[in-house]
Amino acid sequence: MGKLSSPADLEQCRDSLLRAIDPDRTRVRICMTGCRAYGAEEIRDAFSSEVARRGLESKVEIRETGCHGFCARAPVIAIDPSGIFYQQLTPADVPEIVSETIERQKIIERLTYPDPLTDKRIAQTKKIPFYEGQIQNVLKNCGTIDPRSIDQYIANGGYAALAKALHSMNPDEVVEEVKKSGLRGRGGAGFSTGMKWSFARSALGDTKYIICNADEGDPGAFMDRAVLEGDPHSVMEGMLIAAYAIGASAGYVYVRAEYPIAVEHLLIAVEQATNLGLLGPNILGSDFSFDLKIKEGAGAFVCGEETALMASIEGRRGTPRPRPPFPAQAGLWGKPTNINNVETYANVPSIILKGAPWYASMGTESSKGTKIFSLAGKINNTGLVEVPMGTTVREVIYKVGGGIPNNRPFKAVQMGGPSGGCVPAKHLELPIDYGSLESVGAIMGSGGMVVMDTKTCMVDIARFFLSFTQDESCGKCVPCRIGTKRMWEILTRITKGEGREDDIELLQEMGQMIKDASLCGLGQTSPNPVLSTIRHFRNEYDAHILDKHCPAGVCEALTYAPCENTCPCRVDAVGYVSAIAAGRYEEALALTRLNMPLAGVLGRVCNHPCESMCKRGDVDEPIAICSLKRFISDREMKRNKMPPPVFLEKIKQERVAVVGAGPAGLSAAYHLGRRGYQVTIYESLPVAGGMLRVGIPDFRLPAAVVEYDVGFVKQHNVEIQLNKTLGKDFTVEGLLKQGCKAVFLALGAHANQKLNIPGEDAEGVIPGIVYLRKVNLGEQVGRGQKVAVLGGGNVAIDAARTALRLGAKKVTILYRRTKDEMPALPEEIEEAEDEGIHIDYLVAPTRIVTQDGHVKRLECMRMELGDYDESGRRRPVPIKGSEFVVDVDTLIPAIGYMPDLSSLPSNDGFAAGSGNTLQADRVTLATRVPGVFAGGDLVTGPSMVVEAMAQGYRGAVSIDRYLKGKDLYKDRAYQPVLRIDIPKIEMEGELTAAAALRARMPQLGKKRRVRDFGEVNKGFTEKEAMREARRCLRCDLERKGE
Amino acid sequence: MNRKGEERMPETIDLARIEPILQRFGKERGALIPVLQEVQGIYGYLPKEALVRVSEAMKTPLSRIYGVVTFYAQFYLTPRGRHTVRVCRGTACHVRGGRSVLNVVKDSLDIEDGETTKDLQFSLETVACLGTCFLAPVMMVDRSYYGKLIPERVPSILEKFGQGGSRG
Repeated sequence: MGKLSSPADLEQCRDSLLRAIDPDRTRVRICMTGCRAYGAEEIRDAFSSEVARRGLESKVEIRETGCHGFCARAPVIAIDPSGIFYQQLTPADVPEIVSETIERQKIIERLTYPDPLTDKRIAQTKKIPFYEGQIQNVLKNCGTIDPRSIDQYIANGGYAALAKALHSMNPDEVVEEVKKSGLRGRGGAGFSTGMKWSFARSALGDTKYIICNADEGDPGAFMDRAVLEGDPHSVMEGMLIAAYAIGASAGYVYVRAEYPIAVEHLLIAVEQATNLGLLGPNILGSDFSFDLKIKEGAGAFVCGEETALMASIEGRRGTPRPRPPFPAQAGLWGKPTNINNVETYANVPSIILKGAPWYASMGTESSKGTKIFSLAGKINNTGLVEVPMGTTVREVIYKVGGGIPNNRPFKAVQMGGPSGGCVPAKHLELPIDYGSLESVGAIMGSGGMVVMDTKTCMVDIARFFLSFTQDESCGKCVPCRIGTKRMWEILTRITKGEGREDDIELLQEMGQMIKDASLCGLGQTSPNPVLSTIRHFRNEYDAHILDKHCPAGVCEALTYAPCENTCPCRVDAVGYVSAIAAGRYEEALALTRLNMPLAGVLGRVCNHPCESMCKRGDVDEPIAICSLKRFISDREMKRNKMPPPVFLEKIKQERVAVVGAGPAGLSAAYHLGRRGYQVTIYESLPVAGGMLRVGIPDFRLPAAVVEYDVGFVKQHNVEIQLNKTLGKDFTVEGLLKQGCKAVFLALGAHANQKLNIPGEDAEGVIPGIVYLRKVNLGEQVGRGQKVAVLGGGNVAIDAARTALRLGAKKVTILYRRTKDEMPALPEEIEEAEDEGIHIDYLVAPTRIVTQDGHVKRLECMRMELGDYDESGRRRPVPIKGSEFVVDVDTLIPAIGYMPDLSSLPSNDGFAAGSGNTLQADRVTLATRVPGVFAGGDLVTGPSMVVEAMAQGYRGAVSIDRYLKGKDLYKDRAYQPVLRIDIPKIEMEGELTAAAALRARMPQLGKKRRVRDFGEVNKGFTEKEAMREARRCLRCDLERKGE
Repeated sequence: MNRKGEERMPETIDLARIEPILQRFGKERGALIPVLQEVQGIYGYLPKEALVRVSEAMKTPLSRIYGVVTFYAQFYLTPRGRHTVRVCRGTACHVRGGRSVLNVVKDSLDIEDGETTKDLQFSLETVACLGTCFLAPVMMVDRSYYGKLIPERVPSILEKFGQGGSRG
């Protein structure tokens, strides 16, 4: 084809190209850009040879394209005209694809996309949620055309916008159109593109330049790379239109050298365009001439800054200079220059062709059009997505992005790269546009979105970004060169546990100063990640500085192992697991008991936060840390070989009183007793254990186990007096007067939260915790046959399973929200369902109907999920006309419980907090009454058992210091007493494959279970325990110096 | 690149090899960086003798050239290894365990970031972002990408390129 010397030539060219397309020919589009890193070249070769082998060349076109966007599923192909999408291919799949799908139109299920939400396979590209949520405007050619073919670009409508601009619009009209469209710079700053062009247009001078900033340096951003590799002509066409608008005749694309494929495709595109006369003199027969050069960067992030970029093109060091003068007045070699980002230029052709009103119809008031985001980090669908401005963060991450791997909770998304900020979970509803992101301390930036979950430490992230900007700082101005270094030093200290109290204030002050005084955007935005993480994750900074603790378990100097680190009691989980692996069971148990005395109990009912952070869980399934603890405790219990008590200090004369023999009280008493104090626990119930004994049924936690562990505590100079109720049998004041030097209040939370619907006080309506308590104490509760339980926590599940064992024929749990939101442990929900309990979701009770004072029916409404509330959950709203009734003879409300403060009146100096809790100091657990401390559910509200025990430990430390006259606040950071030293024990060869899977807990047969209250879970055998323990990756041995 | 690894230090620099480059760019404005990139493409790094010649030909003071060479991360003044290992230290790779990958690479090759192995087989660099974030964590050896890495896979990848000099 010769040069195109008019728009008519172009149209003719396009027409003949379109006519040459065989509509019956199957087209296989293979991504050959990003997917190349995953073997796409071998896939293409396999297709070529298979098609040739079967003589199908005339029937099948194999087209190498740019990025399809769905990088998580690489390597991918798309097939026209059937619209089928195949993913995660290997070359071995190709012959089958050719013979089955291409020749026989049969779909190969295993190669189609598996939707994680429905578990169904989706064969059609357009039906895949990842694509459904997008509007592919800039990306329309990527994945569709071969980027090395200008013919295909033209056939798809390419260069028509240029023809229109050159021949039907004058430069001013072009500028106006771009202005009206509302297009804002996609490189990050978001300045109005039309306005920028108008400045360069009105600048004086005959020589003007157009530059494309393709120095995409933001870590986490790769959309410019995809556009350059997949549709380079769209960028060039945009540049040509811009050049025409401002009056430039020469231009550069400055592309980073780390993108060799982009450079290659750009050079091909330039050559092809030149051959057709679309670059060079008198383009398409007009007076407009344009020359384009490709310049490679040399590895400097700062060259993404416009003045540094221009310096680099001029062959100098890439240091920025002050502005004004702006590039539009004096840029490259002092001439008026317009610099825009790749995506900005790529947007221009469609704006010219389809018009500004079309573009402005997408997006929000202030931010028009679409934007490409690169999804990376802890997200299932990593890749590129293009959505209209105004799409919410939640939609991008969950609907298009497919959510977080392993269903972990979302923590934050870093937006805008090292210049941007972290957007936390509470802003998931935020519509994405330039203004809204700024308002929460982030920026749009290039559109990079790096998603983080609870295993990401935000302090570490801030430090990470600073070390990047520090490294890339050009060094010209003091605030950036020295300021970033100092900030980095402070953050490094903090991650090493050497943070100081005024560090945060200092970081904020310095950050503001660096923002105000830096010469260019790199310096000015470098404090953003620090300031935004301080703003949204202050508690994480506080934990590092005040508690010397890294909650995410990332900072090496502060994290021994993720399991130990996450445990509220800091039980050395990796220690006892490695001891079990070595067969040293007594040592394992002794190690556990250094921190926490109730091994048999916690080994059954702990909700094991350690397992959620276990690194093995990233590979397959976490170690069964909790059940391993049960194994060592049960072993000792069966042999009846409780070891003698170990005291850390000499026996003292001082007496300490603890009120409440629940987990918090037992823990406090144990730690005080070991330190030599005389401890008496006053317990109101006739049995010890609190909620452990009366709130959890025997089939989950046998009374004998509770008693055994309580016995262990009592060995340590601890006396328990039962049937002693605070306010009735004794008072706090009385205790102090009688010679107790300190008191620890651990009353727990045993008061029921009311339903507040009519009929609540009828007979047959028993609150969940009352029901469980009575059964555990051997009292009468009736033998209801038609039982309904209201609620979704462990109390509700336990009550339901108890009713079943008491002979109920039909037991139903009615829960207000959805299964995913149920607070009960997943394993408990599963066991309940296995036992035949029916769980009805999205149901709310409205009225209890009684007959002769006894409950007869429950009136209910069905609910649906409405808008999001502050907790980030969707509020259930009633569905009109969905009323229904449930016949019951027993109704068990278990919607919540709280502390009862009636024995701790404010007159005596006690203050109440929210949720009817008792106020106590966060660090020391001191109440306002001297010598009186409090902890556990009484202070925190209902929480986990292990959390209550941690509170008991904290209270004991406070009381110990109080009695010794030491400062209660200083040095409260946790210090381990000792570490066990055991080398890693590898799994035996013959065991490796099967042993790689987590051990399954043996259980009673399903039918056998509900006959009585016998324990359902049977516990590991020694062989199972040792094998499970050897799965541990020994993170404690992996730690390296920084 | 002329690496066989037999002799440690490079042989005498044959400056004739860069004449065509200097000719081609001639008097082009702002050509210093592309010239340096092509010169480095010949020798694998920028020998001082070559820089002196470039300075003469482009009438640019050697000090200014030195300033440019030391500013940009891609230019090297010392000989490089036959294979370049680039470990990504971008955000996405960081969040997905890039640090452990880097540690294993450093251990396997027994060099730090920016260094070259004694036998001139490998040079190690970290890059702030390779733009393949969907494969995090990523490492490149020459032009090949290795993604979704776990530290255990690294030694076998390096072996493919003839790693065996340092402790494995």
